[in-house]
Amino acid sequence: MSLLAYNPDDMVVTVRADTTLAALQVQLRPHGQWLPLDPPHAERATIGEIIHNDLSGPRRYGYGTVRDHLLAIRVELADGRFIKAGAPVVKTAAGYDLCRLFVGSRGELGTVREATFKVQPVPEAEEVVEARFGSLKDSCDFVEKVDTSILTPVVLDLHNLVTGAWTVVVVFAGVREEVEWQRQEAAKLAPMTASSLGHEQQFWSMPADVGPVRKVSVLPSKLFDALKDLSVSFVARAGNGIVYYRGGPEPPQQELPTKLMQRLKDEFDPQHKLPRPA
Amino acid sequence: MGAISPSFINELRGICGADGVIADPVQLLVYECDAYTLEKQVPDVVVLPRTVEQVVSIVRLCADRKVPVIPRGTGTGLSGAVLAVNGSVVVATTRLNRILDIDFRNRRALVEAGCINAWITNAVKHRGLMFAPDPSSQPSCTIGGNIAFNAGGPHTLKHGVTTNHVLGFEMVLSDGDLVWLGARPDGGEDVGGYDLRGVTMGAEGMFGLITRVLVRLVKAPRAYRTVLGIFNSTEDASQAVSDIIAAGILPGALEMMDQPIIRAVEGANHFGLPTDAAALLIVELEGQGPGLDRQLERVQEIFRKRLAREMRPAANDQQRADLWKCRKRAFGAMGRISANFITQDGVVPRTKLPEALRYVYEVSRQAGLHVGNVFHAGDGNLHPLIFYDERIPGQAQKAMEVSNAILARCVELGGSITGEHGIGVEKVASMPKQFTDDDLDAMQRVRRAFDPVTLFNPGKIFPDGKRLRVRPAA
Repeated sequence: MSLLAYNPDDMVVTVRADTTLAALQVQLRPHGQWLPLDPPHAERATIGEIIHNDLSGPRRYGYGTVRDHLLAIRVELADGRFIKAGAPVVKTAAGYDLCRLFVGSRGELGTVREATFKVQPVPEAEEVVEARFGSLKDSCDFVEKVDTSILTPVVLDLHNLVTGAWTVVVVFAGVREEVEWQRQEAAKLAPMTASSLGHEQQFWSMPADVGPVRKVSVLPSKLFDALKDLSVSFVARAGNGIVYYRGGPEPPQQELPTKLMQRLKDEFDPQHKLPRPA
Repeated sequence: MGAISPSFINELRGICGADGVIADPVQLLVYECDAYTLEKQVPDVVVLPRTVEQVVSIVRLCADRKVPVIPRGTGTGLSGAVLAVNGSVVVATTRLNRILDIDFRNRRALVEAGCINAWITNAVKHRGLMFAPDPSSQPSCTIGGNIAFNAGGPHTLKHGVTTNHVLGFEMVLSDGDLVWLGARPDGGEDVGGYDLRGVTMGAEGMFGLITRVLVRLVKAPRAYRTVLGIFNSTEDASQAVSDIIAAGILPGALEMMDQPIIRAVEGANHFGLPTDAAALLIVELEGQGPGLDRQLERVQEIFRKRLAREMRPAANDQQRADLWKCRKRAFGAMGRISANFITQDGVVPRTKLPEALRYVYEVSRQAGLHVGNVFHAGDGNLHPLIFYDERIPGQAQKAMEVSNAILARCVELGGSITGEHGIGVEKVASMPKQFTDDDLDAMQRVRRAFDPVTLFNPGKIFPDGKRLRVRPAA
């Protein structure tokens, strides 16, 4: 059994890291709960991969990323010792927060073997709507309008997967009355039709010869600038300023505190037994 | 005292100016402790830099002379994490406190580390935004201090804690390097490499001295429904907390107070609270407006089912503000009960709250001490206040023993010794209850990576590091 501990009344669950996200959600669902993470390929992405690679999906706009839900981990270090970090309760300030150090560490500092998450009630209602635009500029203006409005969608995506159109996909979730109200308010900003998150599936299932998935993260206000010269297929977490695209130019290098990162690597993996930084 | 030489103090004056250095013994008394008053140490010297450049110069000077640096905000911490050690320099960020930029479009603010938490929300609320973490000390605590302890507050049940709302920051390392960790003011929110930002959150000032902080702003809820439930038993109130969560309701806040606290708050503020009630719950629902009344009705149904003797929904903003005053002024009212008290901060799984509370009452009774509880019930985050009188020989010691026993019990129940106040010097002895030697060793490795020479805030968090005698300055 990959579920190690789950008390629905505490809204906390502990699983083995080789559990797939989909398998975890199946266990939570009968209790009206879920882990609000939706990375690509949930049916085969394991909890360990999601943590090591900091994987996320469209709903990060409303619910955050894995580091926002992770409470505790059990990690196998390079020398074979096991440590725990965090605590299986909804908050802790005891010692350093090593949980977050392992999120996105690509297994270079240790291997996450178990993880404890804070889970949430499944929203009572969820509605997906979209608006299509004939120009990138118009679609970006609409994104800004929604992002700076009083609306609080959980998804604000923009993609160019429909030929000749720029599509903004918006998801509202929460209590029934509020979702309905938000949908009506959104309709005042642009004509919107019922939709789905099919674009996400479509993007991540493109054949490999379309080119590798690349990613760039910019200020949400710089979204148009980031997209205007991009001629390949993209899906943008528009509200977060994050663009995934297939093929196309290499993303610009980020300036990172490499000296500090190297010192951490040397402390945790002095003999370099674990994966090396790319 | 005396470990810091007058010539060294003069060098500090050279960096910060004469009015930026405090070396007068009477003035230094202000800095002898934070809000954890059981241990005190008058610092040798306190510096009050006004610029990032001054902070860098101070750190370089201290590193050169091997003089430990104690970062400090406004001293509202509850675990003694800013306690000076002999022969150290306390660097207080209270003059490094400006809001530098507010980016409404991208919902971010760039502030200096000594900026007061509440100033941020005050500066953006006219645009419907807020900085979500709201510790009870928010009118006086600094954002740098919030980072040091990963501060929470009543509204963290729904909004999360400080780490969820700080995008990045600038920090001076022990070698004098100025690094930016996490998202940059002009950059996107996803940053590659290890999460150096994340691991520094809650590190109690032991990795470096934070100078500037980029915070996330969120859209403030547009409507609230706040209701006070009055109960004749703490068990019923605790059960109501679990029932609300089990019903799939995620309130913005879910707070509880027991009888000793109710009495003190009522005595101090005359809110009209029933002083014979066993427990109060404050439940706050928030959102855009639609659907809130239906949720409020469900909460009230649960209150009735759990035998609430009375319910007081806030009819307007004024009444809501009054309800929150009851809660946020609770600590201030404690002076009426007792000369001294220790605040604990253990966390247990929410379903273990009744058991944990029973234990708190029992262990205090056995020690002959009074105890009150005012806490974040929705988070399972207890705040037992253990009352003692330091003038009675042995009482402070007894209070510490009760406090340690409660923390041990929290760990046994599957929780943590602190939810938001941190370890500081106060809880170092309890760290091995929660963590193995290997766990602690992994934390030490991170510390060595950030601060190989142990310049910043020595003697905190780690059991073996307690009461380190520090080499005298040159």
